[in-house]
Amino acid sequence: MLATSSPLLSYAAPLPAEGVISERAIVIAAQGGSNDAFSALVRMHQRRAYAIVRAIVLSHEDTEDAVQEGFLHAHRALDRFRPDQPFGAWLYRIMANAALDLVRRRKVRLAEELSETVPMPFRDPAESGELRERLQQALTHLTDRQRAVIVMHDVEGFTHGEIGRTLGIPEGTARSDLHHARAALRRLLQNLRSTS
Amino acid sequence: MTQDRWTSGDADLTNALRALYAAPVEENYWEALEARIIAHVARADERTVWWAELAEMARPGLVAAAALILAASLALVHSRQLEVRSAYAGVISPAAPSVEPAARAASVGDGDAAIHFLISR
Repeated sequence: MLATSSPLLSYAAPLPAEGVISERAIVIAAQGGSNDAFSALVRMHQRRAYAIVRAIVLSHEDTEDAVQEGFLHAHRALDRFRPDQPFGAWLYRIMANAALDLVRRRKVRLAEELSETVPMPFRDPAESGELRERLQQALTHLTDRQRAVIVMHDVEGFTHGEIGRTLGIPEGTARSDLHHARAALRRLLQNLRSTS
Repeated sequence: MTQDRWTSGDADLTNALRALYAAPVEENYWEALEARIIAHVARADERTVWWAELAEMARPGLVAAAALILAASLALVHSRQLEVRSAYAGVISPAAPSVEPAARAASVGDGDAAIHFLISR
């Protein structure tokens, strides 16, 4: 069932069930003003969008704000999108920009503000807690882009090329950022890892 | 070991990173986020529509205000012209005899009469 929460957006045409039609058709319907189609696009891409934004900002709350802003920007720019292009790449670039904008606005967020709701799959609670805390602190020492690159690569499994396209940087720069991010994390967590 | 390769000893760090950045798994969370996104977009559209309507309403108001200012300016100019004309007419037309000089003349006449009366005695 598709959501129909906005009375302001018109319902240009009935939308067939998801999976039956292609993403391109959904994008075209959304460009025609279909709220159902836009909701379907949100549902299809919000998890990936969350992951990309989460790699750039420092907290779960900021991630939600940036994802909402990103979808708003995408909705406003939808008529300028060419449906023959991959929608995901276009949307994720918008998401990355929304996240970078938010990071620029808030610039420094303390590691303590990170969400405490994510469970840690470690056997020793004391050790995992210390690693988690040190990792949070270490991540704040990386640049925004280095943090985004290492999380997108090691957590989300993006390739260097995908990272480069999403963040608007050359692939070589993504490789270099990954190298420097890893080196920095190794250095910052050296004491902890040598004693564990 | 190269500097840009995670080794087996880095697996704990990778796991910690994955745990730290793990997205919520509950389906309810994603349904709620979708609803919030759609509501956010709708609210922004509402503001856009409101501003557009305000701009449309403001347009005739601005025209009316401009017409009012023009009319007031014309009335002011006309009033100034009338004042100038009136002043000019006042300068060039003969002045009516005023009451005070006439009274003064009358009083001087009485004085003269009194002097004449005293002298004649």
